[in-house]
Amino acid sequence: MSRAWPRLLIVVGAGGVGKTTLAAALAARSAAAGDDTLVMTFDPSHRLKDALGVGEAAGDRPVPVAGVGPGRLEASLLDARRTFDRLVARYAPDREARRRILDNPYYRHLAGSLAGILEYMAVERLFEVWQAGDHRRIVLDTPPTRQALDFLEAPRRIVGFLDSGALRVALKPWFASDGSLRPTRRLGALGRRFEAFLDELVGLDLLRDMAEFFQAFGPLYDGFRARSLEVERLLGSADTRFVLVAGPGEERVPDALFFARRLTEGGYRLGPVVVNRLHPRAGAGSPDRSAGRRLMAWLGERDARGVRELRSLLGDRQPLVEVPLLPRAPSEIGALAELGGLLERRWTAAVPAG
Amino acid sequence: MGWLESLAGRRLIVVMGKGGVGKSAVAAVLGRRLAAAGRRVLVLEFDPRESVHQMLGVAPSGGDIVPVAERLHLQNLRPRQVVDRLVRERVRIPLVARRVLASPIYDQFVTGAPGLEETAVLGHCLRLAEGELPDAPELDLVVLDAPATGHGLSLLAAPGLVAESIGRGPVAELTRRVAALVADRQRCGVVVVSLAEEMPVSEALELRAGLAERLDREPELLVVNQLWPPAGDSPRGAARDPLEELARRRRRLNERELARLAAGWDGPRIELPLVPEPSGPELIAALAAAADGPVGAGA
Repeated sequence: MSRAWPRLLIVVGAGGVGKTTLAAALAARSAAAGDDTLVMTFDPSHRLKDALGVGEAAGDRPVPVAGVGPGRLEASLLDARRTFDRLVARYAPDREARRRILDNPYYRHLAGSLAGILEYMAVERLFEVWQAGDHRRIVLDTPPTRQALDFLEAPRRIVGFLDSGALRVALKPWFASDGSLRPTRRLGALGRRFEAFLDELVGLDLLRDMAEFFQAFGPLYDGFRARSLEVERLLGSADTRFVLVAGPGEERVPDALFFARRLTEGGYRLGPVVVNRLHPRAGAGSPDRSAGRRLMAWLGERDARGVRELRSLLGDRQPLVEVPLLPRAPSEIGALAELGGLLERRWTAAVPAG
Repeated sequence: MGWLESLAGRRLIVVMGKGGVGKSAVAAVLGRRLAAAGRRVLVLEFDPRESVHQMLGVAPSGGDIVPVAERLHLQNLRPRQVVDRLVRERVRIPLVARRVLASPIYDQFVTGAPGLEETAVLGHCLRLAEGELPDAPELDLVVLDAPATGHGLSLLAAPGLVAESIGRGPVAELTRRVAALVADRQRCGVVVVSLAEEMPVSEALELRAGLAERLDREPELLVVNQLWPPAGDSPRGAARDPLEELARRRRRLNERELARLAAGWDGPRIELPLVPEPSGPELIAALAAAADGPVGAGA
């Protein structure tokens, strides 16, 4: 991998298509080509942990991966909660403010579901290590969420949320010191009924925790907002390339197309579209000797149709890389680097001249 | 007792598993088989990108309950739809209800309230199965195509969480009934879907542990999907064929992972073959037929 290659590779795609393995393979290849590289993953299999040789040691902090070089290779696992805690610690004006947030039951139990904050934490952590500048290249494996591109919108959504009317509403001093809802008291009987209604719907205790959380969070907003804008700039910068991984077969084409359009329409730089785990095609006239072979041939034809369709829909200018189904998943670092090398060669060959 | 009989008496069957293992296909197979066995069934999914309708060969449901076949219905539900409905039922004056639903406070708190949407989906299943929704057909049971594993577990754990924060009123009442339904193995069945591959098997075993730890229950059935056929003897002296060789390796991987599953779980299990059909009614018919074949350990 030449030094001119993008310094930040973000591997995206639907769940179960092999993103994590390909991210590790690209990182291994990058280190083998001499660049200090960090791979950040979410949920690697035991086999992949073994392949990276990081075992249970891998955590939020990067750990060195042995057996590949001359570049240094490190791996880390993403931990959204710890990242959020660190962010709170960074922007809280004092110890007291920090404690109020970290001890808030709402923050502890559920802040995760708030406006896509877990997805945001993935990019936030990425930005943290990017700024630290310890690596020539970073390969980011993306979260296994249902809407797997949510994290792209996370910075924008956080900013939108922070600027929204809903937040100003939430920031008002809703609760009086006796624990009753302040504005409803002014409304007399009707107010009490509204309070009772909210209590029955989600519970007043929870509402109290949420209101307290938003208020405790108040002093952090400016720092948070400025940072999410910077994160967004990084995702769209010339240093960043998205590697889109797709499953084989016609039925996966709409998924891949959806991802590709979302990325290009969002102004992000799309690198190769990788169709992963393609079943091999049978040669003409080969005998169907067994059920397994017939099935493999059927899948091979199905996958070939999928690739043709994807190619025609994406157009000639979009590099498309085919990666075959491997006889066995890479179980050591050398095999990963080899897979990364294959990916690199096919990517180079697929980039249209000029 | 076969797997079908063991599930047929329940009111709710939750189909869970990692993304991409064929949960929707299995939910469709269960719906078809249970309807064929005489139960009145609704298959429910809540995914903005619907997929079950394709398996059953009907148009997307777009949120409504649509008939699929005799005794079989389908619905793709937005959880918010259910919470909004509860508000409308509770606030009987339409103008006030509209203002509540349009209010940013309602939006913020309902979106942020942990477990509320999940509880609403399960509450909807309960009300469907108990015949409490006037505009729904009469049903014996609901098959729920749950979101991928992590979320699926929080789906079932949600009612307990919500019950902690809400003390009284109709939502609290419904929440308690939902929590009781989920805890009651006579009425609620959990079906875990997996592939015989490394990550899906690990997740299925983690899911089983999570169910035991957080809900003190076991799944009723494990469905292992997309199995490669057992390799026959290759003809003596024949040149090694790369496709056949790869198919053999896939089968060996399946067998290794099946053994790992069996070591971690001795409950009822059915195995479904990898079928050369695109997603659609033919695939579901082939899988439904295969599901009646010989079953695995403990079934």
